[in-house]
Amino acid sequence: MIDRLDAGMRKLSAAMAVLGGLALAAVILSTVVSVTGRGLIPIGLKPIRGDFELVELGTGFAVFAFLGWCQINRQHAAVEILTMRMSAGANRFIDLVADVMMLGAALLITVRHGQGMLDKMSYGETTFILQYPIWWAYAAGLAGAVVFVLVCMHCVLLSLHALVTGKARESGGAVQ
Amino acid sequence: MTGIEIALASFPVLLALIFLRIPIGLAMLLTGIGGIYLITGSFLMISGQLRNLTWGTFSGYSLSIIPLFLLMGQFATLGGMSQALFKAAETWLGHRKGGVAMAAVGACAGFGAICGSSLATAATMGQVALPELRRYGYSGELATGTLAAGGTLGILIPPSVILVIYAILTEQNIAKLFVAAFIPGILAAIGYIITIAIYVRLKPKSAGSRERATYAERFRSLAAVWPVLIVFLVVVGGIYGGIFTPTEAAAIGAFGTGLIALVNGGLTFKSLGQSFLATAGSTAMIFLIVLGAGVFNSFLALSQLPQTAAAFVTAQGFNPWLVMVSVLLLYLVFGCVMDSLSMILLTVPIFFPIMSALDFGLNPEEFALWFGIIVLIVVEVGLITPPVGMNLFVINSMAKETPLQATYRGVLPFVMSDLMRVAILTLFPSITLLGVRLLY
Amino acid sequence: QEVTLRLHQFLPAQANVPAHVLIPWAEKVGTDSGGRIKVEVYSAMELGGKPPELIDQAVNGVVDIVWTLPGYTPGRFPRTEAFELPFTMTNAEATSKAYWDLFESDMKDQDFKGIKILGTWVHGPGVIHAKGDGIRKLEDMQGKKLRGPTRVINALLAEMGSEPIGMPVPAIPEALSKGVIDGTVIPWEVTPSLKIAELVTTHTEFSGDRALYTAAFVLAMNQARYDSLPDDLKKVIDDNSGKAFSASAGRNMQEYDAPGRKIAVDSGNTMIELDQAEVDRWKAAAEPVLTNWYAEMDAKGIDGKALYAKAQDLIAKYSN
Ligand code: NA
Ligand code: NA
Repeated sequence: MIDRLDAGMRKLSAAMAVLGGLALAAVILSTVVSVTGRGLIPIGLKPIRGDFELVELGTGFAVFAFLGWCQINRQHAAVEILTMRMSAGANRFIDLVADVMMLGAALLITVRHGQGMLDKMSYGETTFILQYPIWWAYAAGLAGAVVFVLVCMHCVLLSLHALVTGKARESGGAVQ
Repeated sequence: MTGIEIALASFPVLLALIFLRIPIGLAMLLTGIGGIYLITGSFLMISGQLRNLTWGTFSGYSLSIIPLFLLMGQFATLGGMSQALFKAAETWLGHRKGGVAMAAVGACAGFGAICGSSLATAATMGQVALPELRRYGYSGELATGTLAAGGTLGILIPPSVILVIYAILTEQNIAKLFVAAFIPGILAAIGYIITIAIYVRLKPKSAGSRERATYAERFRSLAAVWPVLIVFLVVVGGIYGGIFTPTEAAAIGAFGTGLIALVNGGLTFKSLGQSFLATAGSTAMIFLIVLGAGVFNSFLALSQLPQTAAAFVTAQGFNPWLVMVSVLLLYLVFGCVMDSLSMILLTVPIFFPIMSALDFGLNPEEFALWFGIIVLIVVEVGLITPPVGMNLFVINSMAKETPLQATYRGVLPFVMSDLMRVAILTLFPSITLLGVRLLY
Repeated sequence: QEVTLRLHQFLPAQANVPAHVLIPWAEKVGTDSGGRIKVEVYSAMELGGKPPELIDQAVNGVVDIVWTLPGYTPGRFPRTEAFELPFTMTNAEATSKAYWDLFESDMKDQDFKGIKILGTWVHGPGVIHAKGDGIRKLEDMQGKKLRGPTRVINALLAEMGSEPIGMPVPAIPEALSKGVIDGTVIPWEVTPSLKIAELVTTHTEFSGDRALYTAAFVLAMNQARYDSLPDDLKKVIDDNSGKAFSASAGRNMQEYDAPGRKIAVDSGNTMIELDQAEVDRWKAAAEPVLTNWYAEMDAKGIDGKALYAKAQDLIAKYSN
């Protein structure tokens, strides 16, 4: 059961991260086209109008989309110098506390970001040059943030499972 | 409790969380939130801020260089380019004791000349050099320490994002600051190479050996790096010749390396997906810290601790050099827990007016250049001082089998080399100012 | 003291507006309240976030007061753009007074509903700073990569055949030095801090009584925070806000144009002044920007034409 859930969550967060990667690829391509156009203004080409805004839109979406993948693989920077000398049980407890804290932060970030999106929608704010509604950008970020919350919940479940059963249980790894 | 007391109390709390293995970005975020709550008496400020802060941080134009250069490093690896580049460096240097690490420093310095970001330099050169260092039997300690320190050359050698921000904050000429940064940047690279030489002499087991390459091999290795040179020249030429912003250079570099990987057959749908995933992990890790640092720095600013500390230092009527040393020490202490960009943004507006009022025997512009370079170096030292050193995290996240504390140990000799350089440049301002005096 | 108000703004503390408008204002509020109010000024976004987030920080109570540009959030405060339209402003003092009047009559309960506005002002005449031969006639705008300051001026630049490049103000020096942009459109007041005179060779000014453009600023306070003050402290805030304050802030800002201009002159840069005939051509070329703006306002249910006429009348009234 938990293995199937884990496989599903890994697929979901990987898919989201790949979408983020594709957004980065789009950022790269649009920048290359724009810089080429800017360099060739004398022969009648043009930069992409609002290229900086596209970079911000693409990167913002990508970073949100990457959060879940980072979390499920436990890639967040942490200091292990003290905890490596603690017992396995204590470490499992710390895992659970850290995951609960991360879930809390993820929920806070996501809910507040969602409210920010509603603000932007009601204010009718747009970007400077392209003048696309800012809430679109926020909505794109929200998709990644929701996946991040789901992954954080899953990680709480995994560390709770590990604490209760006393067996190491990490995402993607078999039960030992 | 006053704001200052709350801020002072927050440091042990932050450190406790960090040492209990709470992810550092999360620890800073939570400590910052708690501190802001205690100072303002409500969650109004932080909950309001988080409506926009996350998107604002994640979509920042200048920070977008980070995932782009991470992806460029992935593509460069897929295309076999970074290996070719590194191989060229090591066929020339690798046979020396510690030579492969020295080659990594040299490659970092070269990369620093096209990149304005330490993290991107650390990330990219880490991708390239870490596997090679491990292949030749370098210890995880020395390998990650070398690359974390080498990454700071990304900022120390111009162009440099931090210098641009300093120039704006202090109303200085960016080009002159870049010129002033050049000699100290080269000294940094030389210092790191000397550090490696001493390190491997003291700990001979930490570096493996490599055969001396023949001159035929050496020149053949150069022939293999021509695609790298083309990308390198386009990127360097673009930045210095005035065609791109650093972010654009990163995008173009990623495009060029991606194209070469495609031509070399290294880029497939599968490997593209894998390079996205590898980029995703490091990027999210870095941006969570940037977000946490942003909230923590809001809290510090609100507490007025930095301002009060600065006022205290100057109110004592100490002699200027003593004040300088105190300020630099303060930077080093703050650098242990803060990231460099936030530190510059937070402290320069406070310290610069105070410091420029003191007499160091320099005219105002020369003082501003000299102080800027010294501050640049001390905040860069912050990137590699434990426990919070962004470069340490970047490199360590790539070296799966090396524990973070091994990286902490490995980087210490480089931190010492940095501190010696800070001392020398502080005592002899003319070293920093030489380039500007010659050119302007 | 009883009340601490946090004022957040985006420029370094030593820049003209913080040093000569905001910090003196904070001190005066403190003095006038007999020390019962303390306004803490936080500069250079040190409390976090980016400049476009400032207005939300005031609205959401992150801080109590912010100094910002409505133009940072395009689409949200559309009526303020009436003062940013090309060839509209005369001088900062008169235009700031007109801005306050129009704020009271047309923006207070619309654009700025739920926000306590303490001051409305504009900066001095906008100038084109460019590298190379510079902008001597309308045709020189063709193909130039220019950093535009506001949404409507970006539209104007595009109308004139330039490529408007969007970037934050602090990015201008690097973009200029690297040739990412050929020039930038900003008032003299900001040029010393950005070292514009060192980075460009020409400066194009416009003769006649209308400037190319200006940008609108607001000093905005969290409404609930204002409402929570006792009446006598509200009065202190009221006495230090409004038309007179806005006019003096605008005048004050424009006064710092002169030293910026002097630096450019002293450094040997070419000063170009477009004559009236040329300015008239520019005005004609700018017509579509007005027409488009009216259409955009219509789409928002605003009578843009009437609003703009009102703004112009007010500016004319205060300029004489
Ligand atoms: Na650099
Ligand atoms: Na550090």
